[in-house]
Amino acid sequence: MAPTKSINGQDLREMFAAATSWLEKSSADIDALNVFPVPDGDTGTNMLLTMRSTVEESQMADDHSASRVAKAMAKGALVGARGNSGVILSQIFSGLSQALDGKDAVTGKELADALAKASSVAYAGLSNPVEGTILTVIREAAEAAQAHAATVSDDVVSVIEATANAAKESVAKTPTLLPVLMEAGVVDAGGQGLYTILEGVLHYLKGEMEQLKLRRPWMVASSVPLTAKSPQMVGVEEVPYGYCTNFVIKGEELDPDKLRKRLEKRGQSVIVVGDNSAVRVHIHTLDPGDIMSYVVPLGTLHQINIRNMDEQYHDFIEMQKERMPAVAVAIVAVVVGEGLANVFTSLGATFVVPGGQTMNPSTKDLLQAVEAVTSEKVIILPNNKNIVLTASQVQSLTEKTIEVVPTTTIPQGVAALLAFDYEADMETNAQNMNKARAAVKSIEVTRAVRSTRLGGLDIKKHQAIGFLNGDLVAVGDSPAAVVQDVLGRVKLDTAEVITIYYGDDTTSAEAEEVGGTLGKQHPQIQVEVVQGGQPYYNYIVSVE
Amino acid sequence: MTVKIVTDSTSDLPVEVAKGLGITVVPLYVHFGADSYRDGIDLTTDQFYPMIVASKVIPTTSGPSPATFTQAYDYLAGETDQILVITISHKLSATYEVALQTVDQMKRKCRVEVVDSQWALMALGLLAISAAKAANSGAGLDEVIALTRKNIPRLDMRIAFDTLEYLRRGGRIGKAQAFFGSLLKVNPILTIKDGEVYPASRERSRAKAIDYLYDFAAGYSHIDEMAVEHATTPDEAEMLVGRLRTKFPKEDIYRSKVSPVIGAHVGPRVLNVAVLGEVG
Repeated sequence: MAPTKSINGQDLREMFAAATSWLEKSSADIDALNVFPVPDGDTGTNMLLTMRSTVEESQMADDHSASRVAKAMAKGALVGARGNSGVILSQIFSGLSQALDGKDAVTGKELADALAKASSVAYAGLSNPVEGTILTVIREAAEAAQAHAATVSDDVVSVIEATANAAKESVAKTPTLLPVLMEAGVVDAGGQGLYTILEGVLHYLKGEMEQLKLRRPWMVASSVPLTAKSPQMVGVEEVPYGYCTNFVIKGEELDPDKLRKRLEKRGQSVIVVGDNSAVRVHIHTLDPGDIMSYVVPLGTLHQINIRNMDEQYHDFIEMQKERMPAVAVAIVAVVVGEGLANVFTSLGATFVVPGGQTMNPSTKDLLQAVEAVTSEKVIILPNNKNIVLTASQVQSLTEKTIEVVPTTTIPQGVAALLAFDYEADMETNAQNMNKARAAVKSIEVTRAVRSTRLGGLDIKKHQAIGFLNGDLVAVGDSPAAVVQDVLGRVKLDTAEVITIYYGDDTTSAEAEEVGGTLGKQHPQIQVEVVQGGQPYYNYIVSVE
Repeated sequence: MTVKIVTDSTSDLPVEVAKGLGITVVPLYVHFGADSYRDGIDLTTDQFYPMIVASKVIPTTSGPSPATFTQAYDYLAGETDQILVITISHKLSATYEVALQTVDQMKRKCRVEVVDSQWALMALGLLAISAAKAANSGAGLDEVIALTRKNIPRLDMRIAFDTLEYLRRGGRIGKAQAFFGSLLKVNPILTIKDGEVYPASRERSRAKAIDYLYDFAAGYSHIDEMAVEHATTPDEAEMLVGRLRTKFPKEDIYRSKVSPVIGAHVGPRVLNVAVLGEVG
């Protein structure tokens, strides 16, 4: 491909027009991602309408210079901006136009710097910038653009390619920055929209007209797992939602900064952008009338758009249901230790109730968990023999249908959880999970709390003791040695996987050594060492 | 005149099978940076996998070019007046849209129908095989379409993965996202349901994953067609075929490799079984 040293205003027009058509193909998919800060209109549609206005206005520029065209686009974006992401997008265009001021044509490096300016203007427009959104995506994309222009190539196409690639990675990571996305298992909709626009620009600059015409954009997949959470649990923090209120004020000597400060007291997700003659406002409020009365003396109001977010939320939930495997059955697991809780969540447990050997949860604790999940059918994994009975009491206290898979150890709980099948009904699942539970051997190693004689073993206080499937079988001075001792009593010739969960008072170095030794002794076995973080038990080991 | 069957390269049909049945395979594309390869033509599976290890760039894929479809249509129109195109699920690729949109652009006159298989890999392959067999024994286009539509829900497939990272990166992970990010090493087994990737099972070891594939296929009471395919583990595939052969001594079991385009999305070490038939 021939290098593209610079682009002019006409290129800007055409590349963003192409990007708008590209965005149009996936605007409905982007709408379906919408989750932050609350289902705020339809992000895909809003960004598309913002882009259309931007592109239309770009035709009004009185010459083909980058400067004039960018200015026209910024104006088009501001008057046409809709919704949260649309307004931020308009700030991005505002930043681009400020950086391109006075330029006829733009080099790759100048474009990278303009993106950086766009990023800082976008951040400045918000009273409370949130990471894990379109903001993070424009910032990281701009950083990559500048780095690429400085060290690799100043070619416009290659800079945009680096920008789009960085944007894609940034979008995939948004759930790690924003818990509400993590919970929903989606990427940020606004970020996805921005990436799609950059991708469209890239296709255009590469001359891939066929791609633009016949293909469609792909949604970026989240870099974190989508756990089997019920969709209704998504974004429960911000109820009630109230009204998403948007309008433009036109007047003289308007002060966007002052207005933003005033409005922050009257609602949430406040965005105020513009200049002294036109200001766009986006706010979530329980009383839109109050906002209107406040701003009406400042100038004339235009493009007033008020939407009931509770309705939008309802629509969003319906859309979410389509996206996930139908989770008719929820799983409540009793687990103690942060590492173990993460393991259970990563494998699809819906709700983790803290508890274990010395801290048995009450029936009420379990009942609350059962009531908190939205599924009408709930499987409980007690993971301890002292909790099985408590769990079986829950059925008499709830209208929901409960199955208790009587797991008495953590390894049994993990095995049961892995056997869960999204396709199967509750009874089949309970049967399969029970079967899986029975197939695993559990080893637990802890310290004796007092001296005693048990099962033919003399045990001194603080010595390490080892249990195999709940029976005391070994005693020794070091927990690591006791793990070896107990494993020596298990038939390992048919074993395939050994998982070692080490407790919060055991170092990872010691645990890795235990795992390493085991791997050397039994090279055919897959040995995995995982931080469990459980109290009391130095080691919990599963043999499968 | 005999109905001609066209499918795309994500069907993973072995060249000799496609040739033997007169199936035309339209290639998708694999791109390493600026270098583009036609799936299975410029790049074979055995060449592809070492490249993803050696190459610094992550390969990307794209659908067939419209010209490939119109050329295929026009070429076949010299031999027949009825063409059936069976493509990969439209939820996984734009191939279906391209196949459909290019029907109007062909120069010769010929009836062309396009069916979205809602599948990929050898499940799509088996669908094309079944259609070609019917066409070759004289069925007309409407008959072959009816058979194909009837076959779509009779197909099933299980794919054993070592990692879901490739699927996630390519954006095709679908509802199998539920299996992504496990903190324990698991061997995920996926399928395709309603045209998109769907979670089926998680096994703790490779051996158990292969047992799962065997149990899945062995559960069939009647088999029209069956295929076993792999990416980089021919010995495992061979062993699985051997086990299935004792259960199904009379049936042909097709053996295949995932194409580079599929490989870019599934990564190395996938092993899968596709069946057209009746369970129970």
